Amino acid sequence: MDTAVRLAGITKEFPGVTANDDIDLAVEEGTVHALLGENGAGKTTLVNVLYGLYEPTAGSVYVRGEERDFDSPRDAIDAGVGMIHQHFMLVDPMTVTENIVLGNEPRKWGGLVVDRERARSEVVELSERYGFDVDPDTAIEKTSVGVRQRVEILKALYRGAEVLILDEPTAVLTPQEVEDLFEVLAELKAQGKTIIFITHKLGEAMEAADEITVLRDGRKVGTVDAASADRESLAQMMVGREVLIEMETPAVQVGDPVLQVRDLSVVDDRDVEAVSGISLTVREGEVFGIAGVDGNGQAELVEAITGLRVPEAGSIRFEGTDITEWNRLDRIHEGMAYIPEDRQSRGLVMDFDLVENGLLGSQHSRPFVDGGRIDWEVASEHADRIVETYDVRPGNTAAAAASLSGGNQQKFIVGREFERDPRLMVATHPTRGVDIGSTEYIHDRILEMREEGTGVLLISSKLDEVQGLADRLAVIYEGELMAVVEPGDVTEEDLGLLMAGEYPADFDAVTDHSLPNGEEPL
Amino acid sequence: MKLPERLADRWARLVTASAFERLLISGAALVLSILVGGVLILVAGVIAECPNPALSMLGVSVCYDPIAVFDKLFLGALGDPINPAFKPFQGQFAWIIRPGFDPLNGQLATTLSETTILLFAGVAVAIAFRAGIFNIGAQGQLVVGALATAIVLLQVAPHITGAIGTIVLLIAGLFVGAAAGGLFAAIPGALLAYADANEVITTIMLNFVATAVALYLASNQFKDPESFANQTVPLPDHALFPNIVFQPRDDFSLIALVLAGLFLVAIWYLLNHTSLGFDIRTSGLQPQAAEYGGVDSKRTVMAGMVLSGALAGIGGAVYVLMVLGNFQTGVPGYGFDGITVSILAGNNPLGVGFAGLLFGVLKSGSIVVDVGTDVPPQLVGVLRGLIILFVAMPEFFRLIGTYVLPEETGRGPAATDGGEVIDDE
Repeated sequence: MDTAVRLAGITKEFPGVTANDDIDLAVEEGTVHALLGENGAGKTTLVNVLYGLYEPTAGSVYVRGEERDFDSPRDAIDAGVGMIHQHFMLVDPMTVTENIVLGNEPRKWGGLVVDRERARSEVVELSERYGFDVDPDTAIEKTSVGVRQRVEILKALYRGAEVLILDEPTAVLTPQEVEDLFEVLAELKAQGKTIIFITHKLGEAMEAADEITVLRDGRKVGTVDAASADRESLAQMMVGREVLIEMETPAVQVGDPVLQVRDLSVVDDRDVEAVSGISLTVREGEVFGIAGVDGNGQAELVEAITGLRVPEAGSIRFEGTDITEWNRLDRIHEGMAYIPEDRQSRGLVMDFDLVENGLLGSQHSRPFVDGGRIDWEVASEHADRIVETYDVRPGNTAAAAASLSGGNQQKFIVGREFERDPRLMVATHPTRGVDIGSTEYIHDRILEMREEGTGVLLISSKLDEVQGLADRLAVIYEGELMAVVEPGDVTEEDLGLLMAGEYPADFDAVTDHSLPNGEEPL
Repeated sequence: MKLPERLADRWARLVTASAFERLLISGAALVLSILVGGVLILVAGVIAECPNPALSMLGVSVCYDPIAVFDKLFLGALGDPINPAFKPFQGQFAWIIRPGFDPLNGQLATTLSETTILLFAGVAVAIAFRAGIFNIGAQGQLVVGALATAIVLLQVAPHITGAIGTIVLLIAGLFVGAAAGGLFAAIPGALLAYADANEVITTIMLNFVATAVALYLASNQFKDPESFANQTVPLPDHALFPNIVFQPRDDFSLIALVLAGLFLVAIWYLLNHTSLGFDIRTSGLQPQAAEYGGVDSKRTVMAGMVLSGALAGIGGAVYVLMVLGNFQTGVPGYGFDGITVSILAGNNPLGVGFAGLLFGVLKSGSIVVDVGTDVPPQLVGVLRGLIILFVAMPEFFRLIGTYVLPEETGRGPAATDGGEVIDDE
């Protein structure tokens, strides 16, 4: 078997940071190779070097045995290397076919006119060859995320890619779509393509790859055969120490209700009812989990609770006080912390530095502000503390939030919200896009908070996360709570069915859903 | 941190960060625009026909001398401070300042007078921009502020006299201008905050309303019966800015310029060191994050717009109390120039100081070029436009910088974070 891609001694330095330090990598033709590592380990930098986006400080790139010096992605594409970015680069109103051929359109009449029929037939032929299920005539904006990803792959294949690089391909997909993607990768491999994909999820690397290369702090830790690798040793390679995969949740005495939601109905941006009469209670010292497939009303429910969306009906009580009419700032001041779902549009101001971002939400409160005047020294110390405690890298608080990697942005937000010392923590997908070491840390902090008597409302699409952390677990489906269960007493299959809106055959709904906690109405 | 350390830290940031880069870029832009403008003048000079050519090169007579034009444009605006006998390239070293040069000359006064009004207009537009609002209505707000100041002071001035009276009247005049401009800007502010009406449309429309109302009032109720022009009766002298240092006929008061500078610093402080400023900047950059951080978007829109209008209104008041001495229709487009000044300054209140001065120099220098050379005014307009165009496109120079400068300094990639590009999902 030949080596499709070989990187020899790749070093890439940015001012003050060595992102890649003397990395060797060899990928055999016709195999799937996973690059595994935590946020900031240098995975993306490495593939960007391979794809011609970065020029390495030292080292060489070989594609099919030939040394290459890519000045731009254009050169990489010409050499048969294609990349599928995490953010799709598609034109939404244009069709699948138009997107795939864009820039390389087949032409007729002496190159004056795009040959649409030929473009379409080529796309159809290509997608059939690889068993892709995409309609060539649908507009991109009407397709799901999974389909868009396949269109991106087709786009690379259409340009003659033999080596496909996928940057965190599963980050945006639902569990079912991840399965479909892995089938696609297997089919591509069967047809002789070489695949390199980046992930920070152990399970995915083990499931989909033939070989796994682990990076840590810009260095290569080692390459292992996926079939013979085990989770614990991979996790140790990634983090550099032993990782507890199981979580321990010590028993905590629950106290008074912190959050009481009654018959809450909320409409979404299109005025369609997204939350229909949900009631729930979160008590002191308890983690209340909500599981569900994204888009079943979680976002609207959380926005109503945190004061970002006005509910149509129902009431919200916080430590016994009706806060339905309160504005967002009052809720923050009274002790409601919130880790938002979308960190880049909500959780952080991308152009602000970390000192300013650390102030977000506290810009009217002591000790940061006195008589309307901001004390930047206090704010700066606060940001330093977050950066240090939550291991945000790089730790320069004068850097703009936009310059941080996604995982580090998330760690900063988590740190800021934890530092509020809240009475209620609303956490939506707190570990999304965060590496295993930090995930462990965030989980520990949530449990610590629970022990201190804080109520936690945890929304996550990761089943193991909600099952592992929650004391009580609700499943949301189409804006209603299907059931509230004891996380230990329910199987993953049952949860899967509930998330799909079906009750398992021998399932006793634990409680009535209008009053899921068996309490008296307020 | 101790104060010296803090100052050193500040200075280090200032130099390493964008400020130094900005200066470098502005300088490069200025030089390039002068070179391109010089070529244009030469070409125009070859094409044009004139009885006395300014230059003769290789048998081709050129009507306009580019060096003379730029000399008049920039130095003319300062009142020609350079000694003509100072020719270091020809080996003649005379004292560099022209003998008899009066630093308090009329041309410099014109420059600074223009600058003063532009500072108010520029900072007015800048604070709106920082709040994420495009206030094209600064012109209207300035006109309303000017009109209201003139009308109110005409009623009040005869009753208050003396040195104290002047201070009272000036402060009252500025307050009236601020209140009128602020209230007038509150209309599009409220429409934007509570009715989601696009401020670009509403402010443009209200500019016409302001001009029309001013014309109506200045040609009817408040018209000076002695004058053919549409203007009010002149304000008594004790209600106007005293012309300290400069000549009374120069229509410029150093007090007003200093006041404008104080306003720039105050607005800079407001934006960078207060809660309200934080709210304004956050909503301007990322409205969704502002909402998340508990910023009341409606209140912030109103605050940004009213502040903007008030500053424009003060600009109008100063125009009446320093330049006109009454209200006249046909107020020059300071509000529109303010947009350019603000964008040139990157919407930074302190940057408005430099941009406003550059604009003031160009405006006043154009007059000198018009009077002192044969270059047609249209061509002077082109030169001014070129300078603004080049200064306003820093990205172009940054792009050139990445090719010209050595890689280490030229390319500052955003990925100083360990190499991961930003990933969100």
